[in-house]
Amino acid sequence: MALGLDELLDTSGFVPHGVCLLWRPDILALHVASDMLIGLSYFSIPVALTYFVMRRRDVEFGWMALLFALFIIACGSTHFLMVWTLWSPDYVLEGLVKAVTALASLGTAAALWWLMPRLLALPSPKQLEATNRALEQEITIRRQMEMRYSSFFNNLAEALFIVQVLPDGDFAYEAINPALARATGLDPERLRDRRVRDALAPEAAASVISRYVACRDGGESIDYEETLDLPVGQRVFHTMLVPVKDAAGRVVQILGSGRDVTERKRLQAEVVQTSKLATLGTLAAGMAHEMSQPLNVIRLWTENMLSRLRDNLLEPQRAERSLTLVIEQTDRMAKLIDHVRTFGRRDGGGMQAFTPARCVQSAVELVRHQYALEDIEIIESATSAQLPVTGRPLELEQVILNLFSNARDAIIALRATDREAGRIMVAVSDDRDGQNVAIQVTDDGGGIDPSVLPQIFDPFFTTKEVGKGSGLGLSIGYGIIDGMGGRIDARNVDLEGGRRGVRFTITLPSQPVSSSDRELSHA
Amino acid sequence: MPDPLHILIAEDEVLAAMALEDFLSLKGFRVTVAANGAEALERYGREQVHALVTDLRMPRMDGQTLIREIRDRDAALPVVVMTGYLTEDSDLKHERWKPLEILSKPVNPRIICETLHRMLGLPLEA
Repeated sequence: MALGLDELLDTSGFVPHGVCLLWRPDILALHVASDMLIGLSYFSIPVALTYFVMRRRDVEFGWMALLFALFIIACGSTHFLMVWTLWSPDYVLEGLVKAVTALASLGTAAALWWLMPRLLALPSPKQLEATNRALEQEITIRRQMEMRYSSFFNNLAEALFIVQVLPDGDFAYEAINPALARATGLDPERLRDRRVRDALAPEAAASVISRYVACRDGGESIDYEETLDLPVGQRVFHTMLVPVKDAAGRVVQILGSGRDVTERKRLQAEVVQTSKLATLGTLAAGMAHEMSQPLNVIRLWTENMLSRLRDNLLEPQRAERSLTLVIEQTDRMAKLIDHVRTFGRRDGGGMQAFTPARCVQSAVELVRHQYALEDIEIIESATSAQLPVTGRPLELEQVILNLFSNARDAIIALRATDREAGRIMVAVSDDRDGQNVAIQVTDDGGGIDPSVLPQIFDPFFTTKEVGKGSGLGLSIGYGIIDGMGGRIDARNVDLEGGRRGVRFTITLPSQPVSSSDRELSHA
Repeated sequence: MPDPLHILIAEDEVLAAMALEDFLSLKGFRVTVAANGAEALERYGREQVHALVTDLRMPRMDGQTLIREIRDRDAALPVVVMTGYLTEDSDLKHERWKPLEILSKPVNPRIICETLHRMLGLPLEA
């Protein structure tokens, strides 16, 4: 038998709930007040929740709040019905509303438990705040770093530049720093993002691009000296390129730094020149002697002839012999003058290929006689070396003369202590595989104190008394040999007869190497 | 005619020594050439020498040492020094080395000859 809605809602036969409370006004009032307040409160909470969800669209799981709102409204309704049933026994209606409340509660509870892990995973505002603080700190640090690096880039005296390697392998300037702009006269704004071949004058571009290609293809840092024609004029740069690679190992960027060494180069040349003049100065006394000798011979022979002529004793053969001798002496003087002149020349004679043996020979000739007068013998051996080296012959001669002069000083000093000395041995030899030429200058002047041996090539280092040595000779020599791609070193040697001395060994590469264009690959 | 006076020349430059030898021989001297101080001292020890003409810078024994050695043996031997360079305060300018004359290079052989004549008390040539 089906029950109609009217029958279901039929209250006949029930008694109002107030009966159970014996209609005691105090208890009735307590129930009515409490239920009404609960109901009103419950009705206001969903409004607040809905308002919150509507306003804070970013809140996660907002629908959960709406579920809460639904079951709270249902709950509130049951409380209003409890007040109603105090007087009207609509218990079926009340039951139905409770059933709806039960369903809504159940759903909400189930959803809540289901969501629990995800709700727990939500960061708390405290956590968020900590994260925010950390992020802010990170940003501050990064900003400082960025400022520091840009300050480095913008304020460093070193010329810095960044070259982008384009997908097609070509190069474009990403940035150049103010120091580079100042040093080169290039405009950073005009250079930015421009291809190198368009940004520079054709010759300069070709020159630098060949270096970028070497860095890009080699994938390794390189450094070199280059002479560039720039808006500010011709400058010499010592440049270093560092490749930056992507994850695949492809060079995508080249970081470059350059130092303008034009002035340093000029000063170096100046110092070499000064030292050369100093060497000339020390040679001057010897030169005077060398010059006075042929002059003296000429004077003696011409006076002789004149005297014989006056006494009618000058036979033609004697006159011829005497005049030939005089001419030979003038040749000897001319050669001497010529040598001093070329030696003092500023450009040092230009870079060229030459055999070092020739320089050694020339240096020996310049001092042999002078040294012989002081009982110092120069002994040459194996000067038949044929391999050519590249450099300035007169500079090498200067180095060898300086070694001779040091040897002489050591010999004279050793003699002052009543010991025998007086030999300078000089040898030139090619090594077996034809790679290097070695020049050895050995004296028997007692050797160098081992404690100062490591310093002898330092500028201004000297063991001689004030006024005797500039302390520049060996350091200049070191620079000259280094410029030729060679090296010079010194060690003490024991010689026959219990004598001791120093042996300087100059090793020069025989392949022609241009010193202004040397490339050092950094492994 | 008396025996010619004997002049000892100490000079390491052969060509200079040859010319001087020829010149002085023409002027009537007997001339001996030594290539350095040590050789000159040795010749001096063996033969009678009336005057010494010497260079200063020579190997083995320099002119200064030679003069000192000779002054130890003979305080009166005339000495003519030929030098390319001699500082004003040179020790050789001291009285104790006299009789000694210093001539600077390039030397004029006529002056050497005249100096020798004067020092040896010979009549000067016309």
